[in-house]
Amino acid sequence: MVFIVILIASFLLQIIFPWWVIVIISFVTCGLIGKTAKISLWFPFAAIFLLWIGMALFKSIPNHNILAGRIAEMLAVKSWILVLILTGVLGGFVAAISGICGYHFRKAVLCKKTKSGQHAG
Amino acid sequence: MNKVKATFCVVIPLLLVYIFNTKFGAVPPLLKFLNPFTGFWQNAEPSGIGLNHKVVLKGTHDRVEVVFDDRMIPHIFANNDYDVYYTQGYVTAMHRLWQMDFQTLFAAGRLSEVVGSKAIELDRYQRRMGMVYGAENSLKGMMQDPKSKEMMTAYTEGINAYIHSLSKANLPLEYKILDFVPEDWTPLKCALLLKQMSAVLAMGSDEFYMSNILKKYGPEVTGDLFPDYPFREDPIIPKGTKWDFKPLSVPATPLAFNQMVTGDIRTKQKVDGIGSNNWALSGEKTASGSPILENDPHLDLTLPSIWYQIQLHAPGLNAYGVSLPGAPGITIGFNQHIAWGVTNVAADVLDFYQIKFKDNTHKEYWYNNKWNKTTERLEKIKIRGSHTETDTVIYTHHGPVVYFQKPEKLSRADNVPSGHALRWIAHEKSNELMTFYYLNRGKNYSDYRKALTYYTAPAQNFIFASADNDIAITPNGKFPLKWKDQGKFILDGSDPKSDWQGWIPASQNPTVKNPPRHFVSSANQSSTDQTYPYYINWEFSSYERGKRINDRLSKMTNATADSIRLMQSDAYSIFAENLLPALLSRVDNNALNATQKEAFNIISKWNKYYNAKEIGASVFDLWSARLFFDIWDDDFTIRGIPMRYPSRDRTIELILKDPNSKWFDNVLTSKKETLTDLVNESFKYTCDSLEKKFGTIGKNWEWAKVKQTHIPHLANIPGLGSKTLMMGGAKSTINALAEKNGPSWRMVVELGKNPKGHGVFPGGQSGNPGSPFYDNMIGTWSRGELYDLYFMQTPNDPSAKIISNLHISNK
Repeated sequence: MVFIVILIASFLLQIIFPWWVIVIISFVTCGLIGKTAKISLWFPFAAIFLLWIGMALFKSIPNHNILAGRIAEMLAVKSWILVLILTGVLGGFVAAISGICGYHFRKAVLCKKTKSGQHAG
Repeated sequence: MNKVKATFCVVIPLLLVYIFNTKFGAVPPLLKFLNPFTGFWQNAEPSGIGLNHKVVLKGTHDRVEVVFDDRMIPHIFANNDYDVYYTQGYVTAMHRLWQMDFQTLFAAGRLSEVVGSKAIELDRYQRRMGMVYGAENSLKGMMQDPKSKEMMTAYTEGINAYIHSLSKANLPLEYKILDFVPEDWTPLKCALLLKQMSAVLAMGSDEFYMSNILKKYGPEVTGDLFPDYPFREDPIIPKGTKWDFKPLSVPATPLAFNQMVTGDIRTKQKVDGIGSNNWALSGEKTASGSPILENDPHLDLTLPSIWYQIQLHAPGLNAYGVSLPGAPGITIGFNQHIAWGVTNVAADVLDFYQIKFKDNTHKEYWYNNKWNKTTERLEKIKIRGSHTETDTVIYTHHGPVVYFQKPEKLSRADNVPSGHALRWIAHEKSNELMTFYYLNRGKNYSDYRKALTYYTAPAQNFIFASADNDIAITPNGKFPLKWKDQGKFILDGSDPKSDWQGWIPASQNPTVKNPPRHFVSSANQSSTDQTYPYYINWEFSSYERGKRINDRLSKMTNATADSIRLMQSDAYSIFAENLLPALLSRVDNNALNATQKEAFNIISKWNKYYNAKEIGASVFDLWSARLFFDIWDDDFTIRGIPMRYPSRDRTIELILKDPNSKWFDNVLTSKKETLTDLVNESFKYTCDSLEKKFGTIGKNWEWAKVKQTHIPHLANIPGLGSKTLMMGGAKSTINALAEKNGPSWRMVVELGKNPKGHGVFPGGQSGNPGSPFYDNMIGTWSRGELYDLYFMQTPNDPSAKIISNLHISNK
C-alpha cells in the first residue's frame, strides 16, 4: 500500500511541484499508514527508485542516451548507466529517510497522546 | 510526547531537501539537477520525430509560418518586418536561449551573479573597459532610427515570448547545471552582444608594449624591428589601385611624447591573429559566368555554435545566412541578387592616454593647459553568495581610466597600462544593425555601398558580389582621422593634438570594384599599399594566407562551387615555403641523434602542407616557434618591462637578409651565438620535446595528434564540448584551424538567376547538448564538405526537406 501510494502520488504531484514533494509524500504516507519501520524505510525507497529510473529512461531512451552520456562525462563517471543509478539511489535514499522519519514522528506524537490520556484518566 | 525525537524527524528531511536543492561550489544542486521530472533528463530531446505545432503569440501582428529543414534550420515566412524579427527572436531563443543570456552576462560584467566571486576580476575588467558604457551609447544610436528600433523591439519581444513560455522542466540544460534562471531580454542586451564582438575583434592593443620597447631601445631600433609596413605584403586593395577622392588633411603629429610605464608581466610570444578569409570571383573566372563568393570567418570555436543559420522572408526581404544569437538580421549571407561576407580589419581603434591627475582623489586631470573635471561611473556588481560590490570608474573625456591598480591574475588585462584612459571605438554611439538591414535587402552594388556607411565597429572587410556580375571589397568601419602612427605608442592625454580629431569619411574608406584581376579577397592582411593617404594601423596580420589565396585565384579559371570549397581546406604554408630552406641548410646533420636525424629527413621531404597526417608539419610548427623564442626572448623579456616580440614578417626578413644580425646573439650568455647556433638548438629542442610528449617518432607525431583540435563548451563544462578532431590546417594557411579556433562558418554562394548557397558550421542549430542537432554538422565540417542550403521561395517550396512546422498566430 505504502509503495503504491507513494509511487502514484509522486508521479502526479511532481508534474506540478518541485522534486522535494517526494519528501513530503514519503513522510506523510509513512506517518499515516507506515506499519513498521522496515516498511517505512524500504517501500519509499523502492517507489522513488523505480519511478525515477522509469521516468529517466522514458526521456533518455528516445534520445539514445546522448545527453546522459554527456552528463556522465561531466560528473566524471564512466557510463550513463551510473548516472541513472545515481539518480535512482539518491532519490530513493531521500524518500527512505523521509519515510522512516514520518514513521518515527508518528511514534513520537502517539507517545504524547498516550500520556495525555493517562492524565485525563 | 517525545519532543526531541519529533523535532529530529522533521528536521532531518528538511535538511535533506536543503542539501540536495543547493549548489555547492561547482557542483549543481544534486537532486534538483538529477530528478527526472524537472532535472536534466527533461532536456533529452528525442531524435527523429517531426512536429507540426501551432502557437499563439499575442505580440505578432499577422500570421507567421516557420518551417524547419532537416538540419533544424528555420525558414521564417512573415507578412511584415515586425513579425519577421519577432519570430527570429522567438526561434533563436528556442534553440539558443542560454547561450544568448550567458554571452550578454559575460559582456556586461555580470558573471559573478551566476558563478560567484571567482569571476569578480573578469567582471570588473569588462565594466572598467566600458563595455556597458559603450553598449548604452550604441543603444541610443540604434533606437534613433525607426527601422533599427523596430528590429530591436520586435526581436526582444520575440525572445521574451519564448522565455515566458518556459517551465522549470524545459529550462535549457546549462541553467540547471549552473543553477540560475533567465531574466527578460532587453534591447541593451542586443547592444551588449555587438559590443562583445568588438571586444573579441577590435580590442587588440600593443601600445603599452611598444612604448616600453621605445623607451628601452630607442626610436632607431624600434623603427627597424617594428616597421610601419611589412617586408612582404599582398594587400587587400590590389597594389596600384588609384584613390578617386581628394583626401582630408591629416592632423599634425605632435612633438614626441613618451613615458616609461612598467608592470610585472612576462612577455608572451605574439599570437598570430585568428584568421578569416573571404574572396569573390567575377563571372569571367567562373564556369557559370556569374560570380561566386566565399567567406569563412574564424573565431574561438565553441559549442553551442557561434552562429545560427536562418532564412528571413517578408515583403521586400528574402535572405539566407548566419545570424549572431542575440542580434536581429543576417550578418553573413545572400539573397536573390547579392551575397556578402566579412573578415576582420585590424584597425587601430583603441588607444591609451597617459593622464596626469591633480591629486589622489582623481577628481581633476590636466588637459589643454588647465585642470578638467573627471566624472565617476558607479558599477554595481552583484556577487552570488556575497554582498554587492560597487566599483567606481573614473572617466576623462577620452574614456574610462581602466586601472589604477592592476589585477594580478587576469591575463587579458596584461596590455592595459595603469593610470591611463582608454579611447575605444566601441564606446561610440553607433548603429551597425542598419548595415545588415540594408545588406539583407540589397539588390546591387549601390545598395551595398549605402549599407556600409552605417557601420562603425568592429571594422570588417566587407566583400560583395551580385548577380549583375559586380564584385567588390571594402575594409570598412568608422576610422578615426589620425596622424601616422597615432596610437602605435601610448598617447599624451594632456595634449589636444593627441585626441582623435575627426573621422575618415566613409566614402573614402579603401575600396575596390571589379579590379582587372577579376577577383577580390581578404585574409586580415594590410588593407592597402602605402599610397593610401590615411593611417589605419601600422601592423596587420601577416600576408601568407592572403598571398596563397591570391596565388590560387589568379590561376583559377572556370571556377565552380566545388573548386572554391576545396580551396577552403587548403593547408599549404607560404610561411614554411619562405622560412624552411633557410633553416634546413643550417642544420648540422652530424650532430643529430637518431630521432633528430629521422625528423630532419622527414621535414626535408615535407610538402609544406599542414595536413592531418604530416609529421613534418608538427616539427616545423614547434621548430619555428622555438626559434623565434630563441631569437627574441633574451631581448624582449625583461622583468618589470612588459614588451612584445617583433612580427613574424620582420623575423623572417632578418633571417633571410641579415643572417649576421646582432639580434641572434643571446645577450644572457657570454658566448656569441649565431643564427646557425639557434637553428640547431631549436631543432634539437623541438625533437626532444616531441619525443618526450608523444613518444617515438612516427604516427604519434602526426600534426592532427599534436595540434589536438577540439571545440570546447562555451562555459567550458566538461562533457558538453566535442571530442578531439583529427584535422589538418594551421594558422598562416587558408585553412587556419588551430587547437581551439578556426572557421566558425564556411559559405560558398554561386550567384545567378537563382542563387545557390552552400555552407556549414562546426556544431549544430540547437544549443541543447541533449539534442541530436547540437553537433550534427561537425562531421561534415571536419571533412571540409558543405551542405546545400535551402533558399526557399515559399513555405511549401518542394526543393527543401522539411521536418517540422510552426504556425504562429496572434489569436
